[in-house]
Amino acid sequence: MKRFLQRYTSDKRFLIAGTIILGLLLLSSAFAPLIAPFDPYAQTCTPFARPSSAHWLGCNDMGQDLFSELLYGGRTSLFVGLFAAFYATLVATAVALFSGYIGGRVDTILMRIVDVVMALPFLPLVIVLGVFIGPGIGTQIFVIALVMWAPSARELRSQVLKIRETDYIDASICMGSSSVSVIFRHVLPELMPLVIPQFIRIAQSAILIESSLSFLGLGNPIIKSWGSILFFANTRTAFLTGAWLYWVLPPGFCIALAVLSFAFIGFSLGGKAGMEYKPYGSFIRKLRKKGGQHPKGKAMVVDNLSVVYHSQGKHLAAAKNVNLSLNRNEIIGVVGESGCGKSTIAMAILSLLKAPSEITSGTVYLGEKDLLKIPSDEFYRLRGKRLAFIPQNAMSVLNPVVSIKNQIVEAIQTHQDLTSERAGERALELLDMVEIPRERADSYSHEISGGMRQRIVLAMALANDPEVLIADEPTTGLDVLIQKEIINLLVKLKESFSLSVVFITHDLPLVVSFADRLAVMYRSRLVEQGRMENLLKAPRHAYTKGLLASFPRLKEEKRWRRPLVGNKTDPLMQVINVSKTYRASRRFPGRQKREVKALRAVSFEIRKGEIVGLIGKSGSGKTTLAKLMMGLEQPDQGEIIFNSTHLHTLGSFKRQAILRDLHLIFQDPYQSIRNGMRILDVISEPLKISGMAHTANIKNRVREALDEVNLPTGDDFLNRNPSELSGGQRQRISFARAIVNKPKFIIADEPTSMLDVSLRQGMLGLMESIRAKYQVGFLFITHDLALARHFCDRLLVLKDGVQVEEGESDTVINNPVHPYTRALVDAVREPDLLDPDKNGRKSA
Amino acid sequence: MIYLKTVGQYLFIFFIILCINFALPRIAPGDPAIYLVGEDIQNMSDEERNNVLAEFKLDRPVLTQFKHYIAGIFNGDLGTSLIYGLPVWSVVLSRLPWTLLVMGVSLVITVLIGMVLGIVAAWKRGGNKDVGSLITVMFMGSLPPFWIAMLLITLFSATLEWFPSFGAYAISAEPGSFEFFVSVLDRLFLPVLTLTLVNAGRMFLTTRSSMIMAMEEDYVMMAHAKGLKEIAVVFKHAFRNALLPVYTYTVLEMGQLIAGAAIIETVFSYPGIGNTIYESVIARDYSLLQGCFLIISISILLANFIADLGYPLLDPRVRRSVTVG
Repeated sequence: MKRFLQRYTSDKRFLIAGTIILGLLLLSSAFAPLIAPFDPYAQTCTPFARPSSAHWLGCNDMGQDLFSELLYGGRTSLFVGLFAAFYATLVATAVALFSGYIGGRVDTILMRIVDVVMALPFLPLVIVLGVFIGPGIGTQIFVIALVMWAPSARELRSQVLKIRETDYIDASICMGSSSVSVIFRHVLPELMPLVIPQFIRIAQSAILIESSLSFLGLGNPIIKSWGSILFFANTRTAFLTGAWLYWVLPPGFCIALAVLSFAFIGFSLGGKAGMEYKPYGSFIRKLRKKGGQHPKGKAMVVDNLSVVYHSQGKHLAAAKNVNLSLNRNEIIGVVGESGCGKSTIAMAILSLLKAPSEITSGTVYLGEKDLLKIPSDEFYRLRGKRLAFIPQNAMSVLNPVVSIKNQIVEAIQTHQDLTSERAGERALELLDMVEIPRERADSYSHEISGGMRQRIVLAMALANDPEVLIADEPTTGLDVLIQKEIINLLVKLKESFSLSVVFITHDLPLVVSFADRLAVMYRSRLVEQGRMENLLKAPRHAYTKGLLASFPRLKEEKRWRRPLVGNKTDPLMQVINVSKTYRASRRFPGRQKREVKALRAVSFEIRKGEIVGLIGKSGSGKTTLAKLMMGLEQPDQGEIIFNSTHLHTLGSFKRQAILRDLHLIFQDPYQSIRNGMRILDVISEPLKISGMAHTANIKNRVREALDEVNLPTGDDFLNRNPSELSGGQRQRISFARAIVNKPKFIIADEPTSMLDVSLRQGMLGLMESIRAKYQVGFLFITHDLALARHFCDRLLVLKDGVQVEEGESDTVINNPVHPYTRALVDAVREPDLLDPDKNGRKSA
Repeated sequence: MIYLKTVGQYLFIFFIILCINFALPRIAPGDPAIYLVGEDIQNMSDEERNNVLAEFKLDRPVLTQFKHYIAGIFNGDLGTSLIYGLPVWSVVLSRLPWTLLVMGVSLVITVLIGMVLGIVAAWKRGGNKDVGSLITVMFMGSLPPFWIAMLLITLFSATLEWFPSFGAYAISAEPGSFEFFVSVLDRLFLPVLTLTLVNAGRMFLTTRSSMIMAMEEDYVMMAHAKGLKEIAVVFKHAFRNALLPVYTYTVLEMGQLIAGAAIIETVFSYPGIGNTIYESVIARDYSLLQGCFLIISISILLANFIADLGYPLLDPRVRRSVTVG
């Protein structure tokens, strides 16, 4: 509960206030017979009596005590509200789970019903239903629940759809979970925190509806409720006499308080109370006097820059005394792991840091000006003009509702006084420059590919002929070949604009191929910088040395050399001539039938203790192949034989038994493990699916697995929540989950690509030890050619569902047959310590 | 293609609403004849009763009744109102404009006020002032609408005598004259004020939270990197995107707004559909009740339909995309 509150509440004050008010109202209603001074149904004073010491709120027209009525009235109002909300939420959750998880026709029908219910005017409907069914509390609860469930069902369904798309659901299915256990083990627990706000929302409306109905005299007039008190007050025109003060105000306030208490709780759970808004550029600057002075001949000089983040009393140094100088017309690469302070420096230079951060020392000279001395509200004249920026996540930095041309025009007109036509012309020229056809000018970001979006961002950055461009991970997330195109374009434009570029990335091999100088960051410090060749030849800092060593070179001696299995043993996994085509369903006659040929005649084999690398860009059919090999989908043609069982002919029950021997490890260690579970539950899931029930046995197996992956095995660790772990630890948990059931075959989908370089070696070592110990067969999916060559015994290259190359790793890399493989090999440009002139950077 | 699909969906929902409206009195417990013909039927002899039922075609099979019902709707024949002795259709049509007037005016004001305050609140969020305004807004939204109406009448009509609290126009004024116009505005003020007070809060909260989310997006950072000023970023980029959920919300809440109006009309004795529903419930005029329900359903459906058609203008992502089911 505590964890739930921490995770899902934003402002506790609202939650506390709401709970207290609601608690008081509930208590006073529940104990009304004990607290109330009089029987509210009996005549205990003269009609219309004014408030007195005996009758605090006076009396109504029937001589009944109003204060007692108020206490009793709460019972009805809250009872109806809470129960209507309970039933409506129950129905909404069931519909959402059913509709969202099962999907297909069931989903279509249920959602049409929701549409209908939502299109009905609900208060009139409640009234009409109430009239036809007859008055009473039961009717009220029924009709309110009947009209209130629909919006919640729709909202929750969309959440179920999101949950269904997560990796941890896929992981659970891949381990052999049935739909029912996936729903109860994962979907429902994850949905619960979202169900509660829906309950609150419905309760809130239900109380208002109940009081409205009673006020109109459509409830059960014999039973006291806050609404019916107001009904009688209204019919006796209490509000035209002085009586409104004690007859009309109190019940109204009670209703308002009840609704408000729910509103407070709901608002707090909604998680949007929001911390204080900190605009970009709202950082604190307390600069100690004097940094460096303006150095001549450099494009930009950062001197002694330190940034501190203040949060909850802690002071975290995000950048410590960073010195960085940028010559004119050069590219400097800044590399480092996530969290090392790379982006902080970019944001500090641009004055875009947000408030809890403070620049404690330093100067940043751009030409003559010290950027840190310019007030942040004047900085906008510089930003985008002399100093351009390409932010991280290029995929989402374009405004989705503005056409790409208009976004470039905006960038131009912000700094240049041009008419719209002239700016439009200029925007088209910029499109030419970044090699995007002019006819795409009116497209929106969702209509263009990732590579094109990156080009548009580049065009915006260059719109005003800047002197310095800071690019933060501009090619991360793009395919290897597209990365290469973008880099070539950047280098070309650098020359024609005589631009100075700060290129921030975690990808050392990438930046080595084109940057003139290199700066290495480690734990908030810039540990080393210098000319690329010198630095590659003679790295001084231990971290740089380790970093350079951790990238296997494509052409060096193979690092993992295992005895070739050859044809000595029977194949463990056989994929024979497999094809798979996806068809979009044809709902309307005339719409073109769309077919995606995901796989075409793919064949290969994997033996015990063998690691086969699968290489291909996104959309090449890697995922489809993995799904087929897990038996989650059936091939259109061909056979998949695992351990002499035909996977594609198995019924779901037998498949579940087979999945004990097959395991899929996902790329993203954050997505593939659900945060709401204990580590014990995460790792033991495969055991439970395969029917193991004995708690002590389960615990022992989990401990063995944890030991295998070099994680602690104590009870304390087993009960911890995965959210407290780092990415590397989480991926180890994934591996522990993979081996806990001692599978014979593991598919690892880019298991190291999300991890920092320093962690990758360890993870590969772990895989190798698992392979060697259990003679597991591995399919290793990756886009990293060098890694694949070194780590895998054989390679398989997929392009658009076609297997273009298959063979021993060395053969594939050294003598690629297919042009696509050759292009991939060419795209790998890497640090070559011994011979900097031969690695192709001069020709770039 | 998309439009065709949308039209199809709406026609389907319309059909379902017709079915519900037809079924309501027939699935109710007790003698359906009471609901359809009136309570007098209980006191009639069997022969009289059968005659009456025959007159209302209630002795036919349900399917035939349904055909007559559908035919009636398209011929503008919804039966006769007991209270007014007039065709239900003409009673309903004479009331509809008043509801639309109150609804429309309050909707426009609610949206404008809620949105402007929501943007400002999201921008200047945090701190005690924001918490204060949030509490105020949530408190306003928690007040029962009819209760606010009662208090406003007490204050403005009974005590200060600034605004009349009855009807939609002065009976003495000649329709079309300036005097008439002023009397309409006079009587519009309090209902619109009530609805705005009640509904602006939800609008405010929705705008505020959509703005807060939009301001966290990466394109906002890009806009800053381009050198745009804060205010341009907020309006051109953040608000332009926050508008989408706000629009959707407004459309979905239309039903709720009309529902609120129904009660308000009753308190102010405003001659709209909501008040007519109340009258027909009290007088057990079931034909009129059915007619009112039908017209409100159709109005909401139409409003939703128009809003749906307008959405692609705001969001290019749904303009050219084809939904694959």
